[in-house]
Amino acid sequence: MVRSFHLARFELRRYLAHRSDLAFGIALPVVLFSLMVVALGSDAKFRGVMHVADLDGGSLANQVLERVENADGVTVRRYTQDELADALERTAVSTGFVIPPGFSASVESGAPASIVVKSRGSGGDEGRFVTGIVQGALRAAASEIELRRVAGVLAGDPANDARLDEAVRQALAGARTRPPVTVVTESMRLREASQLDRLLAGIVVMFLLFSGTLGARALIEERRTGTLERLMTTRLSAGELFAGKLLAGIGRVVLQSFVLLGLAFAVLGTAGPVVFLQCLVLAIVVAAAVTSIGLVIAAVARTEEQAAFSAVVLTMFMSVFGGTFLPTSGTGWLDVLARFTLNKYATDAFVGLFGEAATLADQSAELVILGAVAILGLAAARMMFRVSSSAV
Amino acid sequence: METYLEAEGLTKYFDGVAAVEDVSFVIRRKEIFGLLGPNGAGKTTTIRMLSTVLAPDAGDVCVGGHSVIREGDEVRKRIGICPQELALYPELSAVDNLVFFGRMAGLSGHEAKARARAVLVGVGLEARGSEVVKKYSGGMQRRVNIGIALMNRPELLFLDEPTVGIDPQSRNHIFETVLALRAEGTTVLYTTHYMEEADRLCDRIGVMDRGRIVAVGTPAELKRQVGDPDRTTLEEVFLHLTGRSLRD
Ligand SMILES: Nc1ncnc2c1ncn2[C@@H]1O[C@H](COP(=O)(O)OP(=O)(O)O)[C@@H](O)[C@H]1O
Ligand SMILES: [Mg+2]
Repeated sequence: MVRSFHLARFELRRYLAHRSDLAFGIALPVVLFSLMVVALGSDAKFRGVMHVADLDGGSLANQVLERVENADGVTVRRYTQDELADALERTAVSTGFVIPPGFSASVESGAPASIVVKSRGSGGDEGRFVTGIVQGALRAAASEIELRRVAGVLAGDPANDARLDEAVRQALAGARTRPPVTVVTESMRLREASQLDRLLAGIVVMFLLFSGTLGARALIEERRTGTLERLMTTRLSAGELFAGKLLAGIGRVVLQSFVLLGLAFAVLGTAGPVVFLQCLVLAIVVAAAVTSIGLVIAAVARTEEQAAFSAVVLTMFMSVFGGTFLPTSGTGWLDVLARFTLNKYATDAFVGLFGEAATLADQSAELVILGAVAILGLAAARMMFRVSSSAV
Repeated sequence: METYLEAEGLTKYFDGVAAVEDVSFVIRRKEIFGLLGPNGAGKTTTIRMLSTVLAPDAGDVCVGGHSVIREGDEVRKRIGICPQELALYPELSAVDNLVFFGRMAGLSGHEAKARARAVLVGVGLEARGSEVVKKYSGGMQRRVNIGIALMNRPELLFLDEPTVGIDPQSRNHIFETVLALRAEGTTVLYTTHYMEEADRLCDRIGVMDRGRIVAVGTPAELKRQVGDPDRTTLEEVFLHLTGRSLRD
């Protein structure tokens, strides 16, 4: 078994010496992701629509909406309660606001009231931006109410300074303990991470899959040149050879994900070190799955061209239908097709980890499926694995 | 003379066609044994069976007292194989190739590095050992290919057509290496389809044609079957034995 580790270490050195492999596996995804970020437009982050159902219609509600409308980059779109619920359900809207009936009256009578924010997942960049603006508008409206109340007291008894002091003190203390208006967030915790999170996860997974499956070429080349057969005349057993190649493949893909995820986390500030570690654990499982698919290709394909063709077609197919570029949260045959791709599970799990603050335990279904792919693939590859190009 | 390798009734079929059929011969300790035959005679297939890579359909081989079928690992401890085609990693240096295969043959890291230096001297590449192999000439690449087979100090060395398509200088170097190895006590199985090479280098020769061994003996013994050993060539021996010319 020690020899398997030597073999794997040697393989990794060869991989690191192979500049075009490194460029393809690491530099290309970085470039691709950067281009897509630019293409998707970063100004989306500073523009947004407040999707609101105003069930109150009172003066304070109007005042808040007016302030929001006047803020830079935000427009207000009004819905009925049902329309808003439906739009959220269809994910046409990721963050919606509900101003409950009696909101204005309640605040004016001095009782607390809330605007309700309904978001899918984190609500995305746009949701966060609009929520911030709405909170600002509410705060401004709240100060105004306080001011008016104080002014009311002043108008009632201008001579009594002591009473005035007392009223202001009470009002400020009351506002501290019981703010007249607040925002209550109701996260629906459904899958709708930001588009960029999903794209990042999708591209990383796509390139891990490319690397894992294109590894088959090297193995077939070794079969053709005879180094595999030569290794079988050393003390290495067929099992050790297989284990060494598997370890090397997993090591290569984990290394690649370490660099890609590390860059993403560092540059985009995606999430903290704990999430990063969980992503790496997930990456090991994904690496095992893609490497075992690569070994199956190596066992089945006869030439390097066949292997490269299978690897590319398989990766492209699974990436397109597995939701790398478009989410697959619809129903119908596309959704069914997505279930047959490794990318769907791997991408969902990564997005869950760094887009939705879920933990590895939340991704257990995906982990089980990826693990099963790894184990089944390995068993099949081990059964069909040949050292020589001829039937031995 | 002590027998080191004994092949008994070796047979291998590919898709129902016999590539090697009922081949039996012995190799004595410390001799250079040649397998001489045209392309397709079955030399490589024989070596693959002798070196535990290919399981024979019938027959067995005993190497240093161990069966290739039942005691493969014991056999692999004792042999070194230089395949007909380059079987190495051309993008790495000669030293890296040697050390890697040395480690796979069971040497420690330290042993492998020391042995690699000695082997490079043996094949005359000590000055360029750290260059990547793909920058070498064809002859130098072949010498690395042989060097890899020497890493585990084999008792029995298989050289499968080691001189095909290389320059005369490298060819002479390989001859010298083989003779030096025999002087050190290594037993060698050398396949070739060049009769002059077999004549010059080998102590005994097995003549192979269409998967069978048609004659075994010293070069002189083989020639005596045809005529005056001093004036007969192995080419004439082959023609006499098979009715065909050795040249392709
Ligand atoms: N892996 C294989 N599959 C099918 N046929 C093979 C294979 N290897 C060798 N042969 C056939 O077996 C015969 C002997 O081949 P080989 O042992 O390579 O001969 P030599 O080394 O003497 O040139 C040839 O006819 C060759 O085509
Ligand atoms: Mg041959």
